[in-house]
Amino acid sequence: MNEIKTENVSFSYDQKTIVLKDINLTLANKPTAIIGQNGAGKSTLVKLFKGLLKPTEGDIWINGKNTKEFTAAQLASHIGLVFQNPGDQIFKHKVIDEVMFGPLNIGQSREKAYQNSIEALKKVHMEKYKDENPYDLNLSQQKLVTIASILAMDPPIIIFDEPTIGQDDFGKELLKNLIRDLAAEGKLVLTIIHDMDFVAETFERTIVMNQGEVILDGPTREVFAKEDIIKLAKLDLPHVMQMAKVFGIEETVLTVDELITRLQRI
Amino acid sequence: MKMTLYVAKNSIVHKSDPITKLTYCLVAAIVPYIIPNHLFAFVIMLLSISLLLLGKVFRKMIPIYILSLFLLITIVIIQGIFHPDNVTPLFMLGPITFYQEGLLIASLLIIRIINMLSAFGVVILTTQPDDLIEALVKKGMSPRIGYVIGSVLQIIPQMSSMVGTIMDAQRSRGLETEGKLSTRIKAFIPLIGPVIMNSLIATRERSIALEIRGFNSKRKKTFLRDEKEFLFGKPYQLLLILCFIGAIIWRIFQ
Amino acid sequence: MKKIIVDSLKYKYPGTDNLALNDISFEVEEGEIIGIVGKNGSGKTSLSLSLTGLIPHFFGGGYGGKVLVDGLEVRNSTVTEISERVGYVFDNPFSQMTAAKYTVYEEVAFGLENMGLPREEIKKRVDWSLQLLDLESIKEKYPFDLSGGQMQRVAIAGVIAMKPQILVLDEPTSQLDPEGSEEVFQVIQSLAQEGITILIVEHKLEKIAKFCDKILLLHEGQLIDFNHPQEVFSRDDLKDYGIMPPVFTRVCRALDIKNPLTGHYPVTLEEVTQLVKNHE
Repeated sequence: MNEIKTENVSFSYDQKTIVLKDINLTLANKPTAIIGQNGAGKSTLVKLFKGLLKPTEGDIWINGKNTKEFTAAQLASHIGLVFQNPGDQIFKHKVIDEVMFGPLNIGQSREKAYQNSIEALKKVHMEKYKDENPYDLNLSQQKLVTIASILAMDPPIIIFDEPTIGQDDFGKELLKNLIRDLAAEGKLVLTIIHDMDFVAETFERTIVMNQGEVILDGPTREVFAKEDIIKLAKLDLPHVMQMAKVFGIEETVLTVDELITRLQRI
Repeated sequence: MKMTLYVAKNSIVHKSDPITKLTYCLVAAIVPYIIPNHLFAFVIMLLSISLLLLGKVFRKMIPIYILSLFLLITIVIIQGIFHPDNVTPLFMLGPITFYQEGLLIASLLIIRIINMLSAFGVVILTTQPDDLIEALVKKGMSPRIGYVIGSVLQIIPQMSSMVGTIMDAQRSRGLETEGKLSTRIKAFIPLIGPVIMNSLIATRERSIALEIRGFNSKRKKTFLRDEKEFLFGKPYQLLLILCFIGAIIWRIFQ
Repeated sequence: MKKIIVDSLKYKYPGTDNLALNDISFEVEEGEIIGIVGKNGSGKTSLSLSLTGLIPHFFGGGYGGKVLVDGLEVRNSTVTEISERVGYVFDNPFSQMTAAKYTVYEEVAFGLENMGLPREEIKKRVDWSLQLLDLESIKEKYPFDLSGGQMQRVAIAGVIAMKPQILVLDEPTSQLDPEGSEEVFQVIQSLAQEGITILIVEHKLEKIAKFCDKILLLHEGQLIDFNHPQEVFSRDDLKDYGIMPPVFTRVCRALDIKNPLTGHYPVTLEEVTQLVKNHE
């Protein structure tokens, strides 16, 4: 069982502006989406989880380890973070070398690192590009390479920052399945994301952030039932829910298939 | 975040022609080297400092003076103790003797440095960078060079935030970036690689954006901002240049 | 009047063997909004760039066929000439800021200074585009201090101030949050009302189905379809091209709810709402 626990966590870069206020969360194995406007504090929160920032007040435990006592690099084998922009990490001339960089850093043997990297590339359907130069790939492929580079380190907790940016429908489907598979393997998956349709279809739990605070947290189905709070955070309901309302369905509907089944009964 | 050091104040120095200030800065910085005289250099230094005071920006210079203190002290020590012309001992500090000749040379160097910093301060602290660039472009400097100078001031802070993100991304993959020198050296390539590639990509994207906004137009560029009325224009620039030429002539016939 | 004529356009990037654009032909009428869709690598960006003249003038490569924008043949004109007819906005708002200006107002004026317009005209046009993009309240702000959505609107304002008759947007909302995206979509519709012809590359089909007159479907550099959204999104083979129709269309297709007026599945929430109302 993997767990992130925060206790009264607050954070500010300088004394004047508080970025996060009194965050108390326990995140366990359910795939969880973190949603909210830009500037709501989502990225800061995951940086705190990752140990890249330390809380100004309060404590964060990653599987029992207090992030204040470890460097980000030391936490790397326990919690992986895929950054939004692939350009922020790619520096090797071969995809396979890029993916193996993390595993080697955390002390895997060359054979083990290679094996894990190939496995990870397979999971994102990129193994056929293993000898290509990552800079020759398009943005969505680069993003998949960076995802593989974290998967290969095999951390029990994985965070994605806006994984669907630049992905077409094929890429989104791939990511949806990947997140489900990782959850089935017992990993804790967190994702910062703006795509509400993707949230509804993929995540069991959703956390809504607004101006540095968690204003809503619960099973995705219950979260989207609170339309007023979603609107307050300047977010939209998933398109299926908007459509369901037109047909007079007031309960939460999360997927296209679910809506179809509901409507077939009417 | 902006990288301009400009301090908005209402003063006669702020209202002066940027080109005149730039000319002053260059002339005042160079002339004390042409005329190697303590008193002369000291007067120029006082002049530069009084311009800072007049522009109400002297306080902003203090941190810069303090920063340069390290260099100044080094000069005093090296010249005062080791200069080859040293013969007349002036005072002792423990077992170390400081000599008059060396200290005289050191003091001239110090005056020149403080003067140079102050003269640059006059331009940088009291002139909006785009006022200066626009003035230079109007004078015939290529708008491209003007753009490069102007944009560097804004792009450097952008780059430093990019470096922060890259560092985070690599630390997330288990790269140690702190600690021993060998650790830091090993971390260099994984950090600098993405910085270079990202900058190249950003530069390419920005050049597309500029291209699409007519940056390469052959037509004569116009300026949005009103011709600001500045004090101390052309005649003063000429006067400064004459002083400069005068100094050279003095030096030749010396 | 035809604003854009693309005739048998073929293009391949330097150093590559595959055609990024393979024999594309279509025409766009004045004031139309065209949505360009297709999976990644289908040629959407290449097509956008070839309307701005950046292909072939900036990128080089092999080029065949003809592109006319507002009567001007792209191959024989400079990017500067074309830029007064065709505006171009892309995904990354940061790289579209000139980084040489200190206020939104000056940023928007940049292109006009390059065009060599008189100061009074510059001011008139900047005021006009700031108003159109609802940026007046932040005109004195430093561009890099803005949110993504605001910055993207400033980028559009800077291009629109040059009064192009055609605006090409390549995934303008992909890096924005829902609110920022909505701002940009609103703006696109008000620009269309000004009579500007618009081509937009976008993955958010539910959004563009609302205001696009036509959808241009690309696959492996070829034009598969160029038709009304209802027709394109009702195609049985859309999956083969890596495209999922809008949620509304998917649900209606499964339930076989067609719009009797068009004979196609509905593509927008508004259309579904109307159908439900009529049914009652």
